Amino acid sequence: MKPKHVMDGYRVLDITQYLAGPAATNLMVQMGADVTKVEIGPHGDPIRTFPYAVDIPGSKDKRSAYFIQQNRGKKSLCLDPKTAEGLAIIKELIKQSDVFIENFAPGVVGRLGLSWDVVKELNPNIIMCSISAFGQEGPLAAYPGFDYIAQAYAAVTDLIGEKDSPPSLPMLAFGDVGTGVHAMTAIGYALLDRERNDNGGQLLDISLLDTYIHHHEVGVQIYSATKGAIVPHRNGSQHTAVAPTGIFKSKDSHLIILALLHQWPVLCKTMEREDMIDDPRFKDNDARIKNLPEMIIAIEDWLQSQDSDAAALAKLEAARVPCAPILTVPEAMEHPHMIARKTIRTVTDPIMGEFQIPGMPLRFSKYEVDENIEIPALGQHNEEILTTRLNYTADQIEALKNSKILFQKAV
Amino acid sequence: MTQKHILDGYKIIDFTQYLAGPSATRLMAEMGADIIKVEIAPHGDPSRAFPYRKNKRSAYFIQQNRGKKSLCLDVKNEKSKAVLTELIKQCDVLIENFAPGVIGRLGFDWETVHKLNPKLVMCSMSAFGQTGPLSHLPGFDYIAQAYSGVTSVIGEPDKPPSLPMLGIGDVTTGVHACGALGYALLDVYRTGEGQLLDISLLDCYFHQHEVNVQAYSASKGKVVPRRSGPHHYAVAPTGIFQGPEGYIMILALVHQWPVLCKAMGREDMTKSAKFGTNDARLENLQELIGIIEGWLQSFDSDEAAIKALQDVRVPVAPILTIPQAVAHPHHRARGTIRTISDRMLGEFDIPGVPLRYSNFPDLLPLEAPFLGEQNREILGDWLGYSGEQIDAMESEGILVNARH
Repeated sequence: MKPKHVMDGYRVLDITQYLAGPAATNLMVQMGADVTKVEIGPHGDPIRTFPYAVDIPGSKDKRSAYFIQQNRGKKSLCLDPKTAEGLAIIKELIKQSDVFIENFAPGVVGRLGLSWDVVKELNPNIIMCSISAFGQEGPLAAYPGFDYIAQAYAAVTDLIGEKDSPPSLPMLAFGDVGTGVHAMTAIGYALLDRERNDNGGQLLDISLLDTYIHHHEVGVQIYSATKGAIVPHRNGSQHTAVAPTGIFKSKDSHLIILALLHQWPVLCKTMEREDMIDDPRFKDNDARIKNLPEMIIAIEDWLQSQDSDAAALAKLEAARVPCAPILTVPEAMEHPHMIARKTIRTVTDPIMGEFQIPGMPLRFSKYEVDENIEIPALGQHNEEILTTRLNYTADQIEALKNSKILFQKAV
Repeated sequence: MTQKHILDGYKIIDFTQYLAGPSATRLMAEMGADIIKVEIAPHGDPSRAFPYRKNKRSAYFIQQNRGKKSLCLDVKNEKSKAVLTELIKQCDVLIENFAPGVIGRLGFDWETVHKLNPKLVMCSMSAFGQTGPLSHLPGFDYIAQAYSGVTSVIGEPDKPPSLPMLGIGDVTTGVHACGALGYALLDVYRTGEGQLLDISLLDCYFHQHEVNVQAYSASKGKVVPRRSGPHHYAVAPTGIFQGPEGYIMILALVHQWPVLCKAMGREDMTKSAKFGTNDARLENLQELIGIIEGWLQSFDSDEAAIKALQDVRVPVAPILTIPQAVAHPHHRARGTIRTISDRMLGEFDIPGVPLRYSNFPDLLPLEAPFLGEQNREILGDWLGYSGEQIDAMESEGILVNARH
């Protein structure tokens, strides 16, 4: 039988919550993995209440679009892992799984009785992935951390915003999602290592801090290789090291223009400013960085002389100078390119109705994106998992419910 | 022979340049793959000219290209095409990040390479993807960032957006590509057949919107994502506060709010009408910021304020600069920041390897290649070209090398 996707048949036991961990398993579900989301009773993943969320009539519960975006297609098993019975269920599932993934603070999974030593004893072929803010060891490991906390420690926040003002907070958690992508990647290669090299399972240690630092393509090397002569700093809407690379005031609004190396003469010609090509003030990147204010004036004067932003963009695009309008989120979501490629996709939820989420960024030619992935209610799959995978009887399951070890809700 | 890492024995032919593609194969080099970096003669990867440079050697280039073998040739020459064709037959992965269509014009579109080598996985990376109305446009990180709505939500509300001083999109697109390649290789192992991957900067930027897309859409436009300077527009307190010396990041969601109130000696705020819920705190954000900053000023130092919050486990951080981060004992202890040595530039720091495997705890010793440094090794050892044949190609200018 042809597999439905690259992870068809792989079982993932996912005890993650919030964003970084669920982002990793979100991609794995979309690659066809069978993901069991273990949620801690009675409330489950805290992001079940995160905005945007609507109140459910006649109940204290909420339905969260944020939760739905990250957790489509997972099976929810909601239990109390601190009871002997709850822990026994998790251990039995570990024996049957290919991947075990968690993002508690370091040490917590060990205190639950599920340290790597225990897990590999239960299943020597399992890949365990621990995700944390700062990594499993080191002086900061014990501190609680979320995206922006690791971002600040990684010297990323310091590089965003106006030069003489406080830093600006990017309004998206690219560190959490990026960490999920790193974890998903490491798990793929660990599975390859297990299948191809017959190396059994292993433990992966993925952190937000490592992920954020990994994004510094310029900052770390330039400071270090210049022995501190260049100190990267935030610089508002213009890049500090390459020019022109920035956000320019245009006829209607602002545009991004970027003209590196061979694109500089092309930009000058497009602006009908051939005189600037070999002008000593602008002829190479170093000169342009030194004379940045004058260069900005020349570019903005040209942009102001155009009939509209659309007209300026058309001229730049025709000359193949990299440029872009700065779309708002609503504008981006309505853009014909995003719609044509399903970079934005529409999902349907029984409570929230239709709404949009980011599409699947990993595109495989052999496999279609599954359009019909469902969103689990809390503990929706308790009975299915316990019955089909662990052979529990209906009476046993009823007893676990009554003694508040298993939990279930309509949403 | 012991296995050096997971991708030991895998051969990658890497046509990528600049940042996104080389970031993907950088991780694969760290995992032990044999990577032939095909560089276009005479100058090779344009990022060899990127700062910081000394004697034409670029630290930027070194960071992204350690452990790769450089093959620098005139790709449009028929003899070069024969070399590349033979290499594609021997490789497991072909990766490229030209503008869509270019790889086809070079003679290596998916149909052709799939016929040459049915097990080959091909990964095409681009700014906007291989299809769609924008796909033909040239694009770099910030261009796709602007089209994804990301740039519009970074900066002060009443000023132009701010440009983050790092290539978030390029690197994350490289990681997405690396991830997809791992699963595609797993699929080759299981099914024996390769496939084509289409990874774009735009998709990857969109993928990082955890709140904005769903909140705007599910609220039917009531919530409009916007840039809001140092504080989050949707959750509070989550932002950058003035400390006694510098700026401090503080974040207190759900159950951390009462803990923060208690730490400030303001239990009265925990359930108050003004601050008791996230919505109320957003409505009274300026007052809330004033109270938190007033309390922070009661400490002698940022360090003391941070410690007080750490002690009660409220998420908090100093806003480190690059020099401070590079020197931080935690970053050093974990190798999050790592010192490498280059033949020309000597020792300097780069970001460490973010994928940590318990079976492979040691990092591989990798060197960044000079331009065309492995021309002879690849043509001779891999393809059986004679010394005379290689000399002839060098003198015809088809093969190029340089010591930088």
